[in-house]
Amino acid sequence: MEKNTLSAENRRKSILSAVLGVICIIYVLPVVAVVINSFKVNTFVKTNTFDLPRGEMWAGFTNFIKGMTFGNYPFWKSAMYSALITVLSTALILLFTSMAAWYIARVNSKFCKLVYYLCVFSMVVPFQMVMFTLSKTADKLHLNTPWTIPIVYLGFGAGLAIFMFVGFVKSIPIEIEEAASIDGCGPLRTYFSVVFPMLRPTMISVGILEIMWVWNDYLLPVLVLDINEYRTIPIHIQYLKGSYGTVDLGATMALILMSIIPVIIFYLACQKYIIKGVAAGAVKG
Amino acid sequence: MAEVSLRHIKKIYPNTEKKKKKDEPAHRTTHLKVTAEGIVAVDDFNLEIKDREFIVLVGPSGCGKSTTLRMVAGLEEISGGELLIDGKLMNDVAPKDRDIAMVFQSYALYPHMTVRENMAFPLKLKKVPQAEIDKKVNEAAEILGITEYLERKPKALSGGQRQRVAIGRAIVREPKVLLMDEPLSNLDAKLRNQMRAEIIKLRQRINTTFLYVTHDQTEAMTLGDRIVIMKDGEVQQIGTPQEVFDHPSNLFVSGFIGVPQMNYFDAKLVKTDGKYAVELDGKTIELSPEKQERLAANNVEAQDITLGVRPEHIALFGEGSQMFHGKVDVSEMMGSSVHLHLQSLGQDVIVIVPTMDLQGIHHDGISIGQEIAFTFGGNVVHVFAKDGKNLEF
Ligand SMILES: Nc1ncnc2c1ncn2[C@@H]1O[C@H](COP(=O)(O)OP(=O)(O)O)[C@@H](O)[C@H]1O
Ligand SMILES: [Mg+2]
Repeated sequence: MEKNTLSAENRRKSILSAVLGVICIIYVLPVVAVVINSFKVNTFVKTNTFDLPRGEMWAGFTNFIKGMTFGNYPFWKSAMYSALITVLSTALILLFTSMAAWYIARVNSKFCKLVYYLCVFSMVVPFQMVMFTLSKTADKLHLNTPWTIPIVYLGFGAGLAIFMFVGFVKSIPIEIEEAASIDGCGPLRTYFSVVFPMLRPTMISVGILEIMWVWNDYLLPVLVLDINEYRTIPIHIQYLKGSYGTVDLGATMALILMSIIPVIIFYLACQKYIIKGVAAGAVKG
Repeated sequence: MAEVSLRHIKKIYPNTEKKKKKDEPAHRTTHLKVTAEGIVAVDDFNLEIKDREFIVLVGPSGCGKSTTLRMVAGLEEISGGELLIDGKLMNDVAPKDRDIAMVFQSYALYPHMTVRENMAFPLKLKKVPQAEIDKKVNEAAEILGITEYLERKPKALSGGQRQRVAIGRAIVREPKVLLMDEPLSNLDAKLRNQMRAEIIKLRQRINTTFLYVTHDQTEAMTLGDRIVIMKDGEVQQIGTPQEVFDHPSNLFVSGFIGVPQMNYFDAKLVKTDGKYAVELDGKTIELSPEKQERLAANNVEAQDITLGVRPEHIALFGEGSQMFHGKVDVSEMMGSSVHLHLQSLGQDVIVIVPTMDLQGIHHDGISIGQEIAFTFGGNVVHVFAKDGKNLEF
């Protein structure tokens, strides 16, 4: 009897593993395709998409060199703008939303509840629904440069970030802040000396989520930024076409690979926190 | 080093009962007054605390002890009345400017700081020079015996050690008033007794006024110079431990102070020729002259009363018509004494007998179901009116 249930358990496990394995392969396949094709001569990308870059198909690093030098917009500039926007946006989001969340979690007023539910609501509004009015507004307010677009990101990122921070702040015993206020802290001091350090785990997970989102985002910068002047990496890749609209797929793949490498390295370095953070947000929210 | 005055202090929480009732059904133990303004958590609290005095607020859970303490700390707004520290009105002064320190039940240490940083934090905020901070922190750590943990984070400490750190953080500042909200409640029984003794020692070493909250009457009795007994947001009695034990102002206090609880009997107070006596089960017990005087001073009439007798004041000695009879139900050996639960006068009567004495009377020990006789004198009985008030007051 014992044995039977055990083997049933085993069988269930192996079936589950197989199913999850297949799902995993389906997920990874596009990425693998990108890697393979980035080393392939352009003409073979379309015809032999899933072949390994053997023999005459092998292009070495020419695709990468071409991708970075092709066109009239220097790749380093795109990379710089991408990095600038990502870092600025994430910093803004972390600072402002953690402060706001602290207030929302601790002050029990109707206003706070309203703001909180607005934030939660904003998470379910798809970007495509507001993108037209948003890009118009951003233009009007001169938020259309890499230095100001982080404000737009702040608006979009605030929902999830506040949701996660509020969940976490609520799990911190309020006595610690009360002790701080007795020990001689005003609100600002309490925030920076006591609350901020305690929020670190959530800071890391929110930071990672926001960095991955902003770095990979295509639609918002393409709508808001003046693309003749400012391009992020995703935009740069999109514009890797010759003047007659011919697309160099090999070079495109090479650039895509280059743009995801930082994210992958980053992800591996912080993996522990990502999983923790997502789980924390889910449970405590 | 400070006097603290609480004058007609009052706390009213906005009424959110309607929502609460759903998830907090009928087993609520408190019966707070609810007025149009809200729930009255503390009502008309009056107390003059002398310099260096150790005051303990005690009462059942939900009676408003923490709320009172938090009003003194400035963590809770004062709805009415005046709070003075050293003669200065403190009602609207921020917590950090009241020159107080507080120890919380949950320790409330800063998790990201080491023990040393935790203790130095309030001094740093006061801009005390580093050399002096080090000196004071080391001193406090010495007193509390936590020197070897100074570089650890709170997470790496046991509950008792954490509470020492919390006390250390509070005393390095040399506050005028040291507030403690159930500081020992999270510790196990043995550690609690040990820490209690240490608080008594600590108290000799530092010049501070203490305001201490607990729901544990033993803590209150052993620590307090005076104790304040509260119930449902109202002060029931203020006095030294001896006073509240010997002269409880009402039924509630008499039952709350002292373990096991006082025995109560339905009895009659009679007055013959100006002399008071109590009648119970056909027997008459004349009150002691001291009690006579107090009752006479209050012009108390003969009436139905609740008679209270502490278990330790019931004797198994004596003979004759004044003895009550009962059957032993349960006998609990506590070491130095035995708690006997007797079935008598149609109710449960608890008697504490020193083990030594018991051997003197009943050589063969006490067996369950055994008939036993007991009595008590007119000097140890408490006479409560049917509304619970002690008629001596
Ligand atoms: N923020 C609040 N809002 C409404 N009622 C409260 C609040 N805090 C405490 N109370 C009520 O006030 C009463 C006293 O609470 P408290 O002072 O914490 O009691 P305790 O004597 O156990 O420390 C309790 O009945 C509690 O329900
Ligand atoms: Mg309490």
